[in-house]
Amino acid sequence: MHDRQFMKETLFAGAQAFKAGRMDRRSFLILCGMAGFASQAVLAGKAEAAADQVIMWNWGGQSEVCHGSAIGEPFTAATGIGVGFDTSGPLQGKIREMVDSGAVTADVCDGDLFDAVALGQTGHLEPIDYTIVRADRTVDGYALEHGIAVILYGYAFVYDTEVYGDNPPNSWADFFDTERFPGRRSLYRWANGAIEAALIADGVPRDQLYPLDLPRAMARIAAIKDDTIYWSSGSEAHSMVVNGEVSMGMVWQNRGRSMEEDTDGRYKLVMNEAFAYPGGYIVPRGNPAGRENAMRFIATAQEVGPQLAIFQCLGMTPANPEAFDQVPEADQAYAISSAVNIDNVIFNDPTWWGNNIDEAVNLYLETIS
Amino acid sequence: MQTLRRLNLHPGWWLVLPFLLVVMGMFLGPILNILWLSVTLPEPGLDNYAALFESEPLRRMLWTTLRICLITTVMSVILGYSIAYAMMHASGANRNWMISLLLVTFWISVLVRTFSWLMLLGRNGPVNNALMGAGLVSEPVEFMRNELGVLIGMVHYMIPYAVLPILASMQNIDNRVIAASRNLGAGGAQTFWRIYLPLTRPGIVAGAILVFILSLGFFVTPAILGGGRVLMVAEYISVQVLITLRWGTAAMLAVLLLGGVLALMFILSRLIPLSQVFGGARR
Repeated sequence: MHDRQFMKETLFAGAQAFKAGRMDRRSFLILCGMAGFASQAVLAGKAEAAADQVIMWNWGGQSEVCHGSAIGEPFTAATGIGVGFDTSGPLQGKIREMVDSGAVTADVCDGDLFDAVALGQTGHLEPIDYTIVRADRTVDGYALEHGIAVILYGYAFVYDTEVYGDNPPNSWADFFDTERFPGRRSLYRWANGAIEAALIADGVPRDQLYPLDLPRAMARIAAIKDDTIYWSSGSEAHSMVVNGEVSMGMVWQNRGRSMEEDTDGRYKLVMNEAFAYPGGYIVPRGNPAGRENAMRFIATAQEVGPQLAIFQCLGMTPANPEAFDQVPEADQAYAISSAVNIDNVIFNDPTWWGNNIDEAVNLYLETIS
Repeated sequence: MQTLRRLNLHPGWWLVLPFLLVVMGMFLGPILNILWLSVTLPEPGLDNYAALFESEPLRRMLWTTLRICLITTVMSVILGYSIAYAMMHASGANRNWMISLLLVTFWISVLVRTFSWLMLLGRNGPVNNALMGAGLVSEPVEFMRNELGVLIGMVHYMIPYAVLPILASMQNIDNRVIAASRNLGAGGAQTFWRIYLPLTRPGIVAGAILVFILSLGFFVTPAILGGGRVLMVAEYISVQVLITLRWGTAAMLAVLLLGGVLALMFILSRLIPLSQVFGGARR
């Protein structure tokens, strides 16, 4: 362990010398090699992160550009610390493996708030420092010990106006009613949102939704199974709708707008009874840039400016209540927390999901396949 | 050196030994770790393996995997055999063209192929539109987003892997044997079934093993073309590792997969010498 610590410090000093121009690249890489780090890890993470950078671990696609301009630029301007990205997607299993292996290469993960519950309990995360991060800049109940909601995303649905033009569906009960609304549907393949939708459709009152009644939900989901296909990525959900494979599709709310545009308005987004999921920012234990820098990064992301910028760029809704009424008028229909939608959406319980995700996902997969 | 000579070990081995040890360590270490995880997570014992007998959904998933892999293997080998046979009997220039086209498919990513099938055979794809336009069907045919879609995508991907070993074994056949068979009075069909086919058996077995083992690890294609309803073991393992964090179950299935493949190789090695299957020396 001491050797490891020594090597880490040597590398850190080397990285700073490299950055300040006191050491050439080759010597730096040789140093890294001597310290026993594979070159990929060196280039992608550890040393780079040590060289005054916060590495954000997100899902790639647009988010690298959007997080860079919305959070990275103001953060660097305020602190002088650079921002880098790992776009491989911070799934729970990957975060756990990274922390267990002792080679942590990311500082802030763009995860789900339920990841903060699951991984916090097992000691894989740094606690949030609420002297830097502001607990009042998020929705009530979404400032947890090991993670905080910085954005909200939602599970809503779109429908084909040419199929249901005269009598459009407007609730999950309609979505799950294949007699009154015949046609193929799509649901999310990893259970989030789909289980809640099935229960609301089955008549569970929204304030009694959690804890989720899994057997009841599975029965409802199995009932429309023959008419349902399942997507596992946002682009897949998009193509199912745009290619006309489904007449009604559960989608991530932030994708709904581009689906309306790409089909020239043939498909329409329904935000009634949408499920608001908190996107949690979480910090792996032992992150290379240090806990404080990670917290400052999260605090920057909470500010109104970055919150609105993320919404404009990615369609993810602000979680900071100060930003709710600053969403432009024309965009309000697409924001979860805007005045027109906030009373009709249903807020997710990250604690239930954090404690039950294994059982829920496996049961759901067994039901649909 | 005296001892060395007595061991009858070529000195060259000492040069290779360090690398051999590194490779063995790098390779066996993680495998043993997986084995270890499968009997220690979440708690020590054989609970993960007991689930194989107790959990009906787990068995159903494994059966789906086996069924799809077997059908894929049979279809790929039959189609691959036909293609290899056609190549053997094509003229030199044509054969070169066919081989180039076959090899080009290795450069096309599996995702691209998967989405191409989705476009081509989807509900609003050109095939369905043509069928409906011609009045042959009134509803779009469901080629995709089900098990049929998975099979189409997988067989398409696997055919080149079946063609190459079969082609190699066809090229090894001494044509005089065929001529002798015809000369002794056998017809074309009889010559094929009794001479040609048995002589290409090592290629068929090699192709089948290759296709079957690659199919077991298939992941992207079943997930997309199956419309999310076809769950195979590779994807199931990844879900247990990444999403549900049931690493014990994942490790157990990985061990099962590895054991299954090794057992398959062992059985085949009893039936047919593996050195023959994997090329190398022509006997």
